[in-house]
Amino acid sequence: MAQCVQSVQELIPDSFVPCVAALCSDEAERLTRLNHLSFAELLKPFSRLTSEVHMRDPNNQLHIIKNLKIAVSNIITQPPQPGAIRKLLNDVVSGSQPAEGLVANVITAGDYDLNISATTPWFESYRETFLQSMPASDHEFLNHYLACMLVASSSEAEPVEQFSKLSHEQHRIQHNSDYSYPKWFIPNTLKYYVLLHDVSAGDEQRAESIYEEMKQKYGTQGCYLLKINSRASNRASDEQIPDPWSQYLQKNSIQNQDSYEDGPCTITSNKNSDSNLLSLDGLDNEVKVDGLPNNFRAHPLQLDQPSDPSNSIDGTDHVKPASSLHETKKGNTGIIHGACLTLTDHDRIRQFIQEFTFRGLLPHIEKTIRQLNDQLMSRKGLSRSLFSATKKWFSGSKVPEKSINELKNTSGLLYPPEAPELQIRKMADLCFLVQHYDLAYSCYHTAKKDFLNDQAMLYAAGALEMAAVSAFLQPGAPRPYPAHYMDTAIQTYRDICKNMVLAERCVLLSAEILKSQSKYSEAAALLIRLTSEDSDLRSALLLEQAAHCFINMKSPMVRKYAFHMILAGHRFSKAGQNVSQLSPDGPLPQLPLPYINSSATRVFFGHDRRPADGEKQAATHVSLDQEYDSESSQQWRELEEQVVAVVNKGIIPSNFHPTQYCLNSYSDNSRFPLAVVEEPITVEVAFRNPLKVPLLLTDLSLLWKFQPKAFSGKDNEEVKELVTSQSAMIGTEVISEFLINCEESKVARLKLFPHHIGELHILGVVYNLGTIQGSMTVDGIGALPGCHTGKYSLSMSVRGRQDLEIQGPRLNNTKEEKTSVKYGPDRRLDPIITEEMPLLEVFFIHFPTGLLCGEIRKAYVEFVNVSKCPLAGLKVVSKRPEFFTFGGNTAVLTPLSPSASENCSAYKTVVTDSTSMCTALVSSASSVDFGIGIESQPEVIPVPLPDSVLKPGASVQLPMWLRGPDEEGVHEINFLFYYESVKKQPKIRHRILRHTAVICTSRSLNVRATVCRSNSLEDEEGRGGNMLVFVDVENTNTSEAGVKEFHIVQISSSSKHWKLQKSVNLSENKDAKLASREKGKFCFKALRCKEKEAATQTSEKYTFADIIFGNEQIISSASPCADFFYRSLSSELKKTQAQLSVYAEKQSTEDAVRLIQKCNEVDLNIIVLWKAYVVEDNKQLILEGQHHVILRTVGKEAFSYPQKQDPPEMELLKFFRSENTTVSSRPSVEQLSNLIKTSLHYPESFNHPFHQKSLCLVPVTLLLSNCSKADVDVIVDLRHKTTSPEALEIHGSFTWLGQTQYKLQLKSQEIHSLQLKACFVHTGVYNLGTPRVFAKLSDQVTVFETSQQNSMPALIIINNV
Amino acid sequence: MSGSFYFIIVGHWLSTPPVFEMESLPAEKAESKDDHRHLNQFLAHAALDLVDKNMWLSNNMYLKPVDKFNVCFVSAFVTAGHMRFIMLHDIRQEDGIKNFFTDVYNLYIKFAMNPFYEPNSPI
Repeated sequence: MAQCVQSVQELIPDSFVPCVAALCSDEAERLTRLNHLSFAELLKPFSRLTSEVHMRDPNNQLHIIKNLKIAVSNIITQPPQPGAIRKLLNDVVSGSQPAEGLVANVITAGDYDLNISATTPWFESYRETFLQSMPASDHEFLNHYLACMLVASSSEAEPVEQFSKLSHEQHRIQHNSDYSYPKWFIPNTLKYYVLLHDVSAGDEQRAESIYEEMKQKYGTQGCYLLKINSRASNRASDEQIPDPWSQYLQKNSIQNQDSYEDGPCTITSNKNSDSNLLSLDGLDNEVKVDGLPNNFRAHPLQLDQPSDPSNSIDGTDHVKPASSLHETKKGNTGIIHGACLTLTDHDRIRQFIQEFTFRGLLPHIEKTIRQLNDQLMSRKGLSRSLFSATKKWFSGSKVPEKSINELKNTSGLLYPPEAPELQIRKMADLCFLVQHYDLAYSCYHTAKKDFLNDQAMLYAAGALEMAAVSAFLQPGAPRPYPAHYMDTAIQTYRDICKNMVLAERCVLLSAEILKSQSKYSEAAALLIRLTSEDSDLRSALLLEQAAHCFINMKSPMVRKYAFHMILAGHRFSKAGQNVSQLSPDGPLPQLPLPYINSSATRVFFGHDRRPADGEKQAATHVSLDQEYDSESSQQWRELEEQVVAVVNKGIIPSNFHPTQYCLNSYSDNSRFPLAVVEEPITVEVAFRNPLKVPLLLTDLSLLWKFQPKAFSGKDNEEVKELVTSQSAMIGTEVISEFLINCEESKVARLKLFPHHIGELHILGVVYNLGTIQGSMTVDGIGALPGCHTGKYSLSMSVRGRQDLEIQGPRLNNTKEEKTSVKYGPDRRLDPIITEEMPLLEVFFIHFPTGLLCGEIRKAYVEFVNVSKCPLAGLKVVSKRPEFFTFGGNTAVLTPLSPSASENCSAYKTVVTDSTSMCTALVSSASSVDFGIGIESQPEVIPVPLPDSVLKPGASVQLPMWLRGPDEEGVHEINFLFYYESVKKQPKIRHRILRHTAVICTSRSLNVRATVCRSNSLEDEEGRGGNMLVFVDVENTNTSEAGVKEFHIVQISSSSKHWKLQKSVNLSENKDAKLASREKGKFCFKALRCKEKEAATQTSEKYTFADIIFGNEQIISSASPCADFFYRSLSSELKKTQAQLSVYAEKQSTEDAVRLIQKCNEVDLNIIVLWKAYVVEDNKQLILEGQHHVILRTVGKEAFSYPQKQDPPEMELLKFFRSENTTVSSRPSVEQLSNLIKTSLHYPESFNHPFHQKSLCLVPVTLLLSNCSKADVDVIVDLRHKTTSPEALEIHGSFTWLGQTQYKLQLKSQEIHSLQLKACFVHTGVYNLGTPRVFAKLSDQVTVFETSQQNSMPALIIINNV
Repeated sequence: MSGSFYFIIVGHWLSTPPVFEMESLPAEKAESKDDHRHLNQFLAHAALDLVDKNMWLSNNMYLKPVDKFNVCFVSAFVTAGHMRFIMLHDIRQEDGIKNFFTDVYNLYIKFAMNPFYEPNSPI
């Protein structure tokens, strides 16, 4: 139990004091009322005797009574209502405040340092009120009235008459059976006549004479003249007089102040609360009973309106609304008690009590004890043996005389008031009241035996209880405290008599006694045993005391203490008590709950992402909603490195660190992160509630420390340390309510708004920890359906903090670090607030989510500078530059936007007449204009801002063309926008913004193309280079509903050296329509560009040739067509370079092979432009797009999109060196066959009169053209290959005439014609393709044979005419 | 209501979370209104005071029921390394609980032998 002001030796005698009734006349009441006091209240502060009192016990021994106190109270004829008592107790507890300057006990137990308040004044008030408000009962006499003061005033007309009236009244109340209440100790109650005299108003002479008369009538011992009101009430404020009433009346007068009709502060404000108020002493019941002047009333605890439902006796603890309590409290403060009393009056009252006790009460008690003793002695002497003998004979029949109201009830039998068994109890009680504990104990002990014999359990329990108490209080402690008496009594009261009030009294006393003997665990057990469901307040208080018992043990039981405090707190809250008294003040405590997973803390710098606004979609950037993905973060890092390298001329500065907007346990937290002033910092704290009870955190915010730095930049010597609440430099967001359900993990996002530069240290979180009221009784989750709806009524909460301490990664670099366990720092929570930086926001307008492969779509990008700093150097970098373009960097090449988009085409078009259909329209463009060129980083694209600077608050909309990736499926395309401040910042050089676009592409066209050498030589301008280009276009779209058909509108070529010349063999399908799964074939003739053209052009100049199938020419050398072409080209180049780089190194020396290969190469690129007719939502849309085919090798088929290859099977890891690493240096046959192009020219059919001339001679021209750039030695061998004997036998062989072998040297690109003669002897069809051509590079030794095997047979028909 | 158990292993430091926690309810028992399961953790925690006191009074690791709250008994078992096994049960069943504790002790020892297990960390 907690420490108390009173020791138990003081407490118990004070709890059981002689009770005296007071019966006043109206006039007397009026006199005391001038002081705002009733007569009983007037006496209250003086009811303790200041001197010792002596009396004689029955054995004539002198007995000294110390510190005797008497209780005077007005007569109330109704027993107190249990509900009213409960309410009173409730108010007493809630009205009791922790003592000022409370000394907190610091108890160290195990690892805990507890800071608890050692006292519980609310409990003491409760106990005092509880003991005082015990209703008098029949089985004990301790609080029965021993005497009655009859009070009249000297100002009355007939004072003596009044006294006899009062006397009659008293007699009537005591002896009339109408009144079962109050209880009187013995039939002839001591009557004490008091004459009140108002000094300031009354006639002193008259008073004295009346007093003389009284003395005559009642004897000097039985009356008293009390002079009061020496001071006129209107002079109240002259003199400061102590108000001894305040401490006694404060708590009780809460309820009755409104009843003073003449009081200055009558409360009328709240009718409801008025009706709830108790009239403690019934002063407002101005009902005259039986025409008597005196207003004896109902019990002080009687309610004004017992029918009021809110305080009906339904066994629940009633809580008066706190507001009404406060009002009454306020009202109370204005009242000064005893305003008409001087200090002399105080002394007079004190004197009066002394006199009454000495002359009236004690002699009366002494006499009564003696009488009772005599009675008992005589009875004992007479029947001690007989008594028990008869009892045995008539066992069971010896039942006390039955009276009318005697009932056999659960507590055993009831005795009539005058039963002899009760006389001994009476005597015991009297002895107890006058502190004669020896005698009291023996009497109680005897009574106990009698009652037990009679099975009168209630009486027995009462006797046991008091016997135990008297035994404890006996001076010199002759016997140990019989705790088992108490236990029996408690059990009997509780279980047999079902009287919780008595059981509670018993427990309170016993616990207090046990506590004084340091038997804390027994006390705790007692207290806990009495907690029950019927009264939350009682249970709460007892549990709290039990908790204090645990902590006060020799080895403090901290956890038991905590547990019982929690239980108590819960009960308090159920009882509607304000339990803030449980929470200690002082520095914020470290709270253990909920758990915080510190390492999971994430920090985000920047504003939250704006939600999509119609067609306007903000860049995804970085947010806390994104999961960490090491792959993508690596990708972003690479992108940033790339752009930084470009900005710094190819070198990444040594102090470069990738920008981190979101810090988590994976990010590099070894450096202090940089935050920008005026941009919020969001900290995500991961909470976990391990309990099965939901936790409610309120007013949750971050706790931080800030060291501001002057803007001027000069060294700020004095570093101010500021803590959270008091700063305008950092704004702190507060989450008003944050609920964590039982066993739930949840994150809270808390924001800080830095308004000043400096160093910020986020220390932890601060919050009120509490639970939800009522949720304890019902099942956790089920009871909380309205979790999100807000307002939870807080039962109780503790304000405290929890620090965020994040351990860095374990170090493992040096030997020392490896051998010991060392951790690096984690500076996630220590950002440096830097000066303002520009802040870019990017919005995408009309950005599609689905595209056909190769489709071109125009969208707009809006760049907004939302900061106060101008922004420059805006660039965008992406791993997929072929996906988008901002257009060329010259205005001519870029279609005007956005008006150009009105004709629904993303392309720049020119209307042409249909005559030019078959021939190509030629234009040229340099790749440098499209950002592709010598720069090695095509991924970094500068954004063409109008002035290359974006002013604060300015926004720019730029067109952006997108081309659906060639691969079908979902594509995530990362854009990284890079920008800088115009003013160079030392700490942050640049900033970035991220965007991830998700595009879903569906199949459209598949284009395959081959190029082969044309055998025709007639076109002289195509010297050494005529090509045929075959383009197959297949509609691979599979969606039935969507795309109706594709129209190929144009096919363009783009090359440095080649151009399409015209369409060959154009089929009847003039529109070039392709329905689903249809395939179209196109054939074109390509020429080498004129050498002189090529010579003047830079190497990066490409020639574009457009062949149009419609009536509109799309200028393929302009944006966006050329952009995408260049982009796809460069990405293609990159791919092949990466593939070939391995070979290139090795083979660079093999010039021969290279040269041979080279003549096989061609750099012709085909662009297929198409339109797709799409039906969507019953609307026809025309989509446009383009596909690219890059042709490199003659005769090799190329695709717009490389065909899916089966993923290579997993290869076994080889641990030996591969044997065949040496790649054959021989070029392939195919390559060689292209070194020298041969063609035979001859008449297709030749008529020859064989009957005239048996030998037919046909001239044949063999054209040899050198395709390579080097000189080639050629050997032509006309002899038949005689590989197989059958070949000879073939009928119809022919012979070449003349020279059978020629040796020639062909210069680069030279064409040489060789005149041959074939000789036939028969008619028939012959294959002339027999000459074997061997070629070798002139400066090489090796001879390679070029074979014509692959070429088509050269057939000749020889007819006979 | 009878036949529900709550088992918890508590390490020797106060600051660390419980090493292991499990509860078992009788099969037929649905989520009832007067559910006091949330009290189990409090009860087990409060009982630690008594466990700490009682373990010095006995030679056995098994401590019998050390505490009682309403209908709930608290049995305990303290290993040589001062790991405290606490069991809350509402029916007296000393032998069963003792056997259970012994089994859990065996398992725990095996678990603790694992070099990757850091003592006192949650299992």
